[in-house]
Amino acid sequence: MADQVILPRLGQGMESGTIVRWLKSEGDEVQKGEPLFELDTDKVTQEVEADVGGVLLKILVDEGEVPVGTPVAFLGEKGEDLPEVEAAAPTPVEAETEPAAVSAGTDPEQPERVAGPPSGSVPTDGRIKASPLARRIARERGIDLAALTGTGPEGRIVAEDVERADVGGAPKAPARAAATGEVERVELTSLRRTVARRMTEAWAAPAFQIVMSADMTRAQELRARLVERHPDERPTVTDVLTKVCAAALMRHREVNALYAGDAIELHPSANVGIAVATDRGLLVPVISGCELKTVAEIAVARADLVARSREGKLQASDLEGGTFTISNLGMYGVEQFVAVLNPPQAAILAVGAIEDRPVARDGGVVARPMMTLTLTCDHRTIDGATAADFLRTVKEFLEEPGLAL
Amino acid sequence: MPELTYREAVRDALSRAMREDDDVFIMGEDIAEMGGSMGVTQGMLAEFGPDRVRNTPISEMALVGAGIGAAMQGMRPIVEIMYEDFTTLAMEQIVNQAAKHRYMSGGQVKVPLTIRTQGGAGWSPGAQHAQQVEAWFVHVPGLKVVFASTPSDVRGLLWSSIYDDNPVLFFEHRMLYPVKEEVADELEPVPLGQARVHREGEDVTVIATGRLVHESLAAAAEAEKEGVSVEVVDPRTLQPLDEEALVSSVKKTNRCVVAHEAVVRGGYGAEVAAVVQHQAFDWLDAPIERVGSKFTPIPFAPVMENFVVPDAVDVLEAIRKTVERTGG
Repeated sequence: MADQVILPRLGQGMESGTIVRWLKSEGDEVQKGEPLFELDTDKVTQEVEADVGGVLLKILVDEGEVPVGTPVAFLGEKGEDLPEVEAAAPTPVEAETEPAAVSAGTDPEQPERVAGPPSGSVPTDGRIKASPLARRIARERGIDLAALTGTGPEGRIVAEDVERADVGGAPKAPARAAATGEVERVELTSLRRTVARRMTEAWAAPAFQIVMSADMTRAQELRARLVERHPDERPTVTDVLTKVCAAALMRHREVNALYAGDAIELHPSANVGIAVATDRGLLVPVISGCELKTVAEIAVARADLVARSREGKLQASDLEGGTFTISNLGMYGVEQFVAVLNPPQAAILAVGAIEDRPVARDGGVVARPMMTLTLTCDHRTIDGATAADFLRTVKEFLEEPGLAL
Repeated sequence: MPELTYREAVRDALSRAMREDDDVFIMGEDIAEMGGSMGVTQGMLAEFGPDRVRNTPISEMALVGAGIGAAMQGMRPIVEIMYEDFTTLAMEQIVNQAAKHRYMSGGQVKVPLTIRTQGGAGWSPGAQHAQQVEAWFVHVPGLKVVFASTPSDVRGLLWSSIYDDNPVLFFEHRMLYPVKEEVADELEPVPLGQARVHREGEDVTVIATGRLVHESLAAAAEAEKEGVSVEVVDPRTLQPLDEEALVSSVKKTNRCVVAHEAVVRGGYGAEVAAVVQHQAFDWLDAPIERVGSKFTPIPFAPVMENFVVPDAVDVLEAIRKTVERTGG
């Protein structure tokens, strides 16, 4: 009897996934544990391995998005008959049309089977578990439950999860326009859609920004010393900044906070997210417990996360649990910029380039390596004075790193 | 304000009604000289005499039948069935006679009969003397059903039952007789069909009856230490039911536990859960949890009885389930 390969659930709250490409072709021998296909979720792209060995008899879903639990292929012995299974048609992202069920039986010798109703092809596994209250709130606020992660028993989405999402969901994508030959339409990847949804959510938060500049003379000296001591890790200014922010967050716990809809969660540990640009889009992997790590340890963690971000090999857990985010565009020569909140976090720090600027010192003008820090804050969670206190501490620690001890 | 035990509160309601109203009298097995097997009617024979405090033969059917006849003739009798387990012997009179006469006579005949009874586990009375059977009577149109959990409630509800023009099954719990509560000097009638909020809370509503009201209050105190705010509501009258009070509480807390001592299967909690889910469906954030006895006759051995019958620990566990998280 042939074994069904079903679309696996890679993380809690995952309801569907997009098959990017198959790494094996029909007829290929597959060993147990060998990668079968690449699966794209709203968080990561992962290779899915075969649970059993055998011959890849039939690929039911070539590519596209299908619900978790959908049969996507058959593994078995060569020449084996396939059980009758209707393949779920991948749902195009924009199309609102019902997925047309297609018959898996393409073998010309087999009589054509009549496709069942589309609902019949969707396994119950793909159903979104949500409490009635969560459903009502989501309905009233136009939030897409499929985009949420449930924290109730068995991953059920409860009201709190919807409250956390808090604002109207992403607007429905417009119907597909006729191709003109002039405009290149790039299909949204899951990641792109997640970025779009979360940034739109963030926009609804009452945000404000404050700006300070720090003299980076001492921080750069420190960084140079660290590179000497840790030639392999080669800590960067961002690593020093991460450590400094963690120390500052521990002294200003109200900034190390998440907005939970009906409460503010003050977190005991500084889990700092680092915004990473990849060719797939923005990712924010998290270095947890930065207050306990040395700069060199942070450098190791950062290097690993950045590398895996670019290779598309992050695990869902790498992206969870952040309490604060740093976004650094200094390497692009950006002098200063405003970052968009990373909800539900209370604040995000946008960091510009270090550049020599004329500054007044002792009645004269001197050139100093200055860096501009822009803190974007969620006013639901923190007030201006709180934010200013925190940012002043970051500035002081950068200018005199010993103060962070 | 005087402090009365639950037992004294029952006696107080009976005695006050009998002092004020010659139509009120009591009948039952061993209720006169012996003062009832639970001591509820002690001293009443001396005050009211054998015509109004009547011992009956050991026949629940005759006892309830006589009560129905007296009620139809304009009296307001209160009959005592020693254990609620024994209502089985009077089922024909209760279900086919008392509950039906008013309806079948087109309203010409009323049956203002109160059937007091008691029961419940907690003292090893064994399988035939420990059941909680209130749900049976809620299923019969024409009957009202009351289950009081505190002295002030039992006094005020018994008064209202006596003066209701319909047959009322009035349940008392054996383990509650020694429970004390301050009550007003004047008897304050508690209207039938009105729930009581014993404790206000924000996160979970526990709808409990009888002994489980007290167990639920203990569980609520424990839950509070865990940061869970629990509202405890006692419907007090099972039929008619104060649906509005229960539903509005659940709409506030979004979570619900129903708790009684009777077995869960087919228990009154199922009816409460159905009402709540239907009227507060879009407010529920977790499945409704039910607490009750395990589905077995109540064992005699104390350790086994304790295992089968629910207490505060079971209620607390149910509360935790409704607020459970799996992370994420």
